[in-house]
Amino acid sequence: MTPASATSGHLGSTENLTVTHGSDQTRIDALSDVSLSIEPGDCIALWGRSGSGKTTLLHALGGLVGPTSGTVWRHGEPLSSLDAAARGEARAGGIAYVFQGANLLPYFTSFENVAFAAAQRRRAGESIAKRAEEMLGLVGLLPKLESLPAELSGGEAQRVAIARALAQDPDLLLCDEPTGHLDSDTGTRVLDLILRLREEFGFALVIATHDAAVAARCDRTIELNDGRIASGGLGK
Amino acid sequence: MNATTRLALAGLSRSPGRTLTRILVLAVATALLGAMILFIGNSLQTMASGAVRSVPLDWQGPALSYSEAQRISGAVARQPGISQSSATATAPLAGAISTGAAGVTRSGGGSVLAVPPRYLSQIKTFRLLQGTLRPGQVVLDQQMAATLQARIGGTVRLQPARGARPVSYKVSGVAIVTAPDTLFQPLNPVVGPAPAQPPANIAILSLRTFAKTYAPSLRNITPANVGSNVQPGAQTGVQWQVQVQLYPGPLSSGSPTAAFKLADQTRNRVERSLPGQIQFVDNLSDGLNTAAADSLFAIALYIMLALPGALIALGLAYLAALGTVERDRRDLALLRAHGATRRDLLSMAGIESTVIGLLAGLFGAGLAFVAVSAVVTGGVGLTVTRIAVTAAACVALAIGGAAAARIGASLSVLRASVADSRRTGRREGKPLWQRLYLDWIALSISGLIYWLTASTGFSAVVNPDSNPTLSLSVYMFFAPALLWIGATLLLVRLRARGIAWLADRASGTSFDSGKRFLLASVARRGPAINRGLVVVGLLLAFGVNLGIFSATYNQQSSIDAQLTLGADIAVAAPPGVVGSKHLASRIAAVPGVRSTTALDHSYAYIGPDLQDTYGIDTSNFAGATTLRDSYFLGDSAASAIAKLSSTPDGILVGRETITDYSLNTGDLLRLRVLDRSTGRFHVVPFHVVGVVQEFPSAPKDSFMVTNLNYLQTVSHGTGPNVVFAKTAGTPSTIGQAVAAATRVDGTVVKNIDQQGRVTASSITTVNLSGISRIEQLFAILLAAGAMGLFVSLGVAERKHEFATMAALGAPLRQVASFLWSEVALVLIAGLALAAGLGFLLSEMLVAMLQHAFDPPPDALAIPWMFLGALAGAAILGGLFSTALAMRQLRRLPLGSILREQ
Repeated sequence: MTPASATSGHLGSTENLTVTHGSDQTRIDALSDVSLSIEPGDCIALWGRSGSGKTTLLHALGGLVGPTSGTVWRHGEPLSSLDAAARGEARAGGIAYVFQGANLLPYFTSFENVAFAAAQRRRAGESIAKRAEEMLGLVGLLPKLESLPAELSGGEAQRVAIARALAQDPDLLLCDEPTGHLDSDTGTRVLDLILRLREEFGFALVIATHDAAVAARCDRTIELNDGRIASGGLGK
Repeated sequence: MNATTRLALAGLSRSPGRTLTRILVLAVATALLGAMILFIGNSLQTMASGAVRSVPLDWQGPALSYSEAQRISGAVARQPGISQSSATATAPLAGAISTGAAGVTRSGGGSVLAVPPRYLSQIKTFRLLQGTLRPGQVVLDQQMAATLQARIGGTVRLQPARGARPVSYKVSGVAIVTAPDTLFQPLNPVVGPAPAQPPANIAILSLRTFAKTYAPSLRNITPANVGSNVQPGAQTGVQWQVQVQLYPGPLSSGSPTAAFKLADQTRNRVERSLPGQIQFVDNLSDGLNTAAADSLFAIALYIMLALPGALIALGLAYLAALGTVERDRRDLALLRAHGATRRDLLSMAGIESTVIGLLAGLFGAGLAFVAVSAVVTGGVGLTVTRIAVTAAACVALAIGGAAAARIGASLSVLRASVADSRRTGRREGKPLWQRLYLDWIALSISGLIYWLTASTGFSAVVNPDSNPTLSLSVYMFFAPALLWIGATLLLVRLRARGIAWLADRASGTSFDSGKRFLLASVARRGPAINRGLVVVGLLLAFGVNLGIFSATYNQQSSIDAQLTLGADIAVAAPPGVVGSKHLASRIAAVPGVRSTTALDHSYAYIGPDLQDTYGIDTSNFAGATTLRDSYFLGDSAASAIAKLSSTPDGILVGRETITDYSLNTGDLLRLRVLDRSTGRFHVVPFHVVGVVQEFPSAPKDSFMVTNLNYLQTVSHGTGPNVVFAKTAGTPSTIGQAVAAATRVDGTVVKNIDQQGRVTASSITTVNLSGISRIEQLFAILLAAGAMGLFVSLGVAERKHEFATMAALGAPLRQVASFLWSEVALVLIAGLALAAGLGFLLSEMLVAMLQHAFDPPPDALAIPWMFLGALAGAAILGGLFSTALAMRQLRRLPLGSILREQ
């Protein structure tokens, strides 16, 4: 176990993180005593079978789920002790998600989805529209600017989700089974894209996956089993 | 329990909040229908019992002789359904002489009524003020007693006919005859009831005494000479008759139409059982026929007012079910993906709907019972049948409403692919009705029908035939129905166009303020917003229409009732009492009475026509009642009264009379006026000073108004016989005080509140206040509930979307703005629709029912307080539920929501 002082300076880290769902008889330990750290530029795979706690850990790292005990750190600040609004600000300040099912905003076009994310972390003097177009250009979806999510294929939707995440200019990108809903060819192309963009932008990447092949493409793999780190915890 | 049932029940129990919301909304919707059924049922029963009670004497059958009347009376009394059957008689009275302390006093002609012992047990044609009816003695009507200055124990001599020997009787009592027009009418069963001019003097004898001492001087009336007693003093012989009263209970248990049928069947049965021996003049059926016609009018009114409310409430229930359709779709799509067949899905939807409908229907019926009992004074008189019918209707409606939405959702799943039905946020296309311009077409046809119907006269007419029906032009109903449809569709079109226009304008602007995101969202959530907009807008429009129409109806009801009664309080007094007992000033002294006026109501002949004649005191008449300019032709009310005042022998006559007799203002008019001193009509000159078409307490046609002093002088009358009083408080309460203060003088006091319930005109007979109170209560509750439902369903539908926004780092304020913007849009557009459509519908409805408004309203009455409450309920409902929704958004479990796919 690493003391808090040792982990608090990282891009993100967890310290003895425990998350439980339900209460008493229905209590489920989604995560138990998980400690890990993420450094700038890391590429980490959270690997494990369904129900092992991968998604919960990703959500905890971004402040979407609060810990039952333990702490989630972000740039040395205790993210988990902030209120909902402050956690939202923290996410807008550099944590981006790519969900398994894309989770695009259904009533916004591709362009508006990306612009909405860009608007959450806007840099001075920067045009939101221009940034949104750039990001969609990076994922090759300029022809689909005005398409609604319902009009996109699964792969296209996931690429918009990636563009949306990039529009937030993240230093930490959390991907939850980003290829889970896609056929293998499309999945490979989407994974290639994410890894290429990590190289280009230098953000740290955490990918939750049950696919060993996907995990193998990351620099480091943390195996989760029943909410506990089975291997590859702190340090490389 | 099979797997489908278990799955359906599990689905309901898994989302208790969603299930409870659907049950509650459906319950409120069905409660509105249940309340309608209860109220209409109760209202019809009240109308029937009121009509039965208002008939003092049900049947009168002429008989040829005393013995025959007695025999037939006995036979009729043994028939089922007959409460009382009595042999009676009426006869003319040429004159009467009283000898007492004041000397010899004479009275003019009149009539004699002969009744058997215990006559008054069920039949209420007169009531005894003093003494009692004894064999060999006479009871005098109070007017006759006053004229003769006769007292109990004194002796009067009654002369049956000119030249006949007077018969002496000891006076044993004084009575007030309450139904003289019915008692002394000519009995011709073929013609039916024909209420006659009441006689000035009435003496009441026991039947046996009458037969022995009075009748022998007169011949009997036979079918051949029955019509001879149509005018006062014209009856020349003895009219033997059988008077019958039915048991009121069975007649009062249903609608007036049912009572009418029952009374008719009973009369036919009795007449058939005595073939060729008796035929009745049926006063009861005559009264019930009018009530039956009124009840049809009431039903038409209730339906026109209440049906849109029930339909909109059902739409709200549909919204509640549809609000979760996206989630249902996803659930069903998942089930389908796991192998559920179409039949399984439909069965599951059916089971769910039945469970929800059953619970909602029973709860709604209970809610209806509570609401109606609370709002309707005296309760609704629940019977097992009424409870069963109401509960069954509520359950059926609730199951139907729940099934329509649920199965609709299931069908959409079955039609679409699994993947498709899991997607939301499709691009809104232009629906077929917009491409066909059905909104404009509906509005144009509505306007055209309204214009055509208005230009040819509206024809909602009650046919008072043997089987009452309401003649309503079918076209009339198309106008408001198409207005409802057209306005709603137009609103939807304008909403889409308005937002599209705003979105277009916003597309060139930056994303800085977030407005562009809001407009993009609103522009693409058309179907969801339209659902809320249509239900909220129509609900508010229904409330506005209901409020304005009810207020106008009540206003005109009050005016009509006052026109019929004459004033807030009208006091009828025996001859001479008003003057001698200073009744007008004593009534004015009763607390709550603002002003009084005394007038003389009598009759005069113009040519062969007998017309009501009112002698008024022009100095104080206008202050004690309400005179409208529309009552007079060519003059204002003030001007007409001033002209009358300045012309001592002036007279205001009706328009028909002016036309029929080619009269002009200033013409000399000779009338035959009853001379009270001789009991005969004599010619008196008047001068026409104006034309009157309505007047307080006057009949609809053929009446005249003149100066009280002149009328008293030429008729040698005993002074006014009626006092009008204007009140400064509740007329019914003050009326009771007036009655208490003047009871010793034999007065009959009526107030405008009771008049509204008994007057024969349709508008005042049909009491809308109960149903409109119920509907207004529901409208206010539903308006608040509809906004709450719209917001909560919006949150439920967009929970995943809002969670995604929060995951992207959007602040709560921005996320909530997507809710606020839709709530504001629905409120603004809904209130605009309500104001426009509600007002137009009220105008249309009042115009369509213009025949019922007499006089027609000058303008619609606007119930500002109710309208404010309605708008306030919608706004507060929206604000409150949005505030709750924000609280909910703040606590959204982002992690678990974002896991849902």
